[in-house]
Order: sequence, then C-alpha cells, then structure tokens
Amino acid sequence: MRIVKRKNSGQLLIVAALAIAILISSTTAYVYEVSKGERNSQKQCSLNNYILAIKQTTRNTMISSLKNISNGGENTVLFNNLNTITEVLRNTYQFGTCNQNFTLLNNSNYNLGVWLSWNSNPGVSSTYANFTLKIYGVNLNAEVNYQVNVTTSLLAEGFYTPLENQEKLVNITCELYNEGEHALAKNITVYYENLGSWILVNNSNNLSIINYDNGTYSISFQANVSSSTVPVSLHVYDLREIFVQANITCNAS
Amino acid sequence: MKGENEGQIRIIEAFLASLIIFSSLIVSANLTVTQNQPENNYLESNGLQALIKLDSDGTLGRYIDERNWTAIRDSLNLVLPAGTSFNLTIYNEKGQLIGMVSNGGLNSENLVSIEYFCASQSSIFHCYILHLKLTVAAS
Repeated sequence: MRIVKRKNSGQLLIVAALAIAILISSTTAYVYEVSKGERNSQKQCSLNNYILAIKQTTRNTMISSLKNISNGGENTVLFNNLNTITEVLRNTYQFGTCNQNFTLLNNSNYNLGVWLSWNSNPGVSSTYANFTLKIYGVNLNAEVNYQVNVTTSLLAEGFYTPLENQEKLVNITCELYNEGEHALAKNITVYYENLGSWILVNNSNNLSIINYDNGTYSISFQANVSSSTVPVSLHVYDLREIFVQANITCNAS
Repeated sequence: MKGENEGQIRIIEAFLASLIIFSSLIVSANLTVTQNQPENNYLESNGLQALIKLDSDGTLGRYIDERNWTAIRDSLNLVLPAGTSFNLTIYNEKGQLIGMVSNGGLNSENLVSIEYFCASQSSIFHCYILHLKLTVAAS
C-alpha cells in the first residue's frame, strides 16, 4: 500500500503542474482574446474615420468643381476633378488597396452631374454623383456606396409699389439654401430689366439689403420702369463662393 | 537499486512538471507583448480625427493652397492631444514634395504614420497627399 502511494505521488505532481499550466494559459488566452476584440474595434473605428475622410475629400472636390462651373467653367471640370482624386486614391495604402468609382447623374435636370437653372425661381446650382468605395486590407475589407450632392439654391418673391411717374418701389424677399438648409450669402447683386436691358441696382436706386442672419434677405430699391411689371434678377454668391441666380417678375402690390 | 531508480524518476517528474509550468509562462509572456499596440491605435485615431476636423470646412486645403504652414502647425497643435509630437509632409497629386510642418523632434519609439488625402475647395482644383507622423513627446 505504501509502495503504491509513492508511485502515484510523482504522477500527481505532473498532473498538478499540468493543471496550473492550463490555468495560466487559459487566463492569458482569455485576456488576449478580450484585448484582441478591443484592438479590432479600434481598427474598425480608424477605418470608419478613413472612409469619412475620403467622403469629405470627395465632397470638397464637388464643391470646388461647382464653384468653377458656376463661375463660367466647363461641365467636364467635375468629371476631370473626380478622376484626379480617383487616381490619387489608387496610390494610397493606409488600410489596404483603395478603389473608388463614380457615376455622374444624368437626367432631365442634370447633365454630366451638373445642374444650373438660373433663369428661374428658385435658381439652382448643383452637382450630384454616386460613388462606390472599396477598400481591401489585410485584416479588414470595406465596401461603401454613397452619394454626394452639393446644391446652392435661391428662392425669391417680390412685388412693387407704384410711386410718382414711372418710379416703382420694389420689395423682394429671398432665401438662400445650401443642400436644403438655410445658408448665408457672401455677396448679393440685384438687376432689373427696363426696355430689354438689365440695369445694375446701386445706391442711386436707394438699394437696401437687410440680412436676417438666417439665410433670409429683404431687398428694396426704386426703379424707373415703364412696363406694368418689373423683371428682377438676383445674383448671389454663397459663403463657398458658388454662384446662383434667380429671376422673378414683380407685379404691383 | 530500486530506491536509486525511484529517486531519479522523482527528479525527472519534477523536471517535467517545472517544464510544463515554464512553457505555459513563456507562451503567456509572448501573448502579452503584442498588447502594446492599443496606445498606437489611439494615436492613429487621434491623428486621423485631427486632420478630418481641420478638413471639414475646407480649412486644411485652403491653408495648403496658401502655403500657410504656420497656420497648419498651430491648428494641429490645437486639435491634437497635449504632448503629441508630429511631422506633416505634404505632396501634390503628382507626388512632388511641397511642404513640411513639424512641432519638434520625433523619437523613433511608438511612431504612428497616417496617410491622408485632401482636396481644396478653391475653384482651381488641387489635391494633396499628406503623411502625418505622430508620437507621444518624451517627457
């Protein structure tokens, strides 16, 4: 009986050591797995930030293009600029191979992703494109579809009050929007039409522009117009320096 | 003779037991070494967020258009966590170096590198590739 006990005590030592080893290994493995999950979520967070950065750059490109086009540039500027960032993206490797494709919107309003509607009310300057972004990394892959729409629009309404002779007091209220949200103007220029020619409104017309600081402007001026209606053209630059124009016809109040 | 053998077997068993425990300790030590990376991940995330913040309203692109390196350095100093050293290298879309901005020396330990690309909102379109290297400044 004593001999058997001695023989087993050695095996018990190895079994105990094995149990301790398993305990140490499993504890470490558990801690490692938990921290691995945390690391992956941080990596995912960085990837999300990177995608956000690419979207932001794309948006800046659309703004730059619309600024150029609304100031007399060709519609093809948008395509060329988006092509440039697509090429640059292909050469970057922050999280993996990066590839972005784009499709410019073409419909009754948009031509090559650009819509300029200036002889109307509301006046619109807009660009629109669809994007597919694919990132193939070692540990993380991502595919994102998104749209970017940059739009500056100007909505105006007005009337006139007849004064002496052919003199008329014109009152206009206009609202400026960026992507459907009220936005501030950098510069507003007003014209009225008389005998087929557009005349710039200035201080000699007692021009008054009231800025309500919420994207709404109240404009009044005096015009010497022989016709019973006063066609008015508003030329506005928003804070991004995108140009938009709206034309309205003011009738007697 | 039997007693001598038993003694040797005990030694072998004790050796095996200690070998098992040590090997598990070595494996555990190797796993914990790889856990130093989270600090770098936070630094990378902070750097990327700082650039996104500066670029959100087109400010970053405008500063680069104007070659206003001082404004970029001051802005990065403001948005990055205190005690962060950085070195920003700016290339144009053709990969030509156009500027460098730094707020001090970078030590080589825990250096994080971020690649970012930025487009300016100016009517003449410019695209820039930015390489931002970050580290926590040595105290």
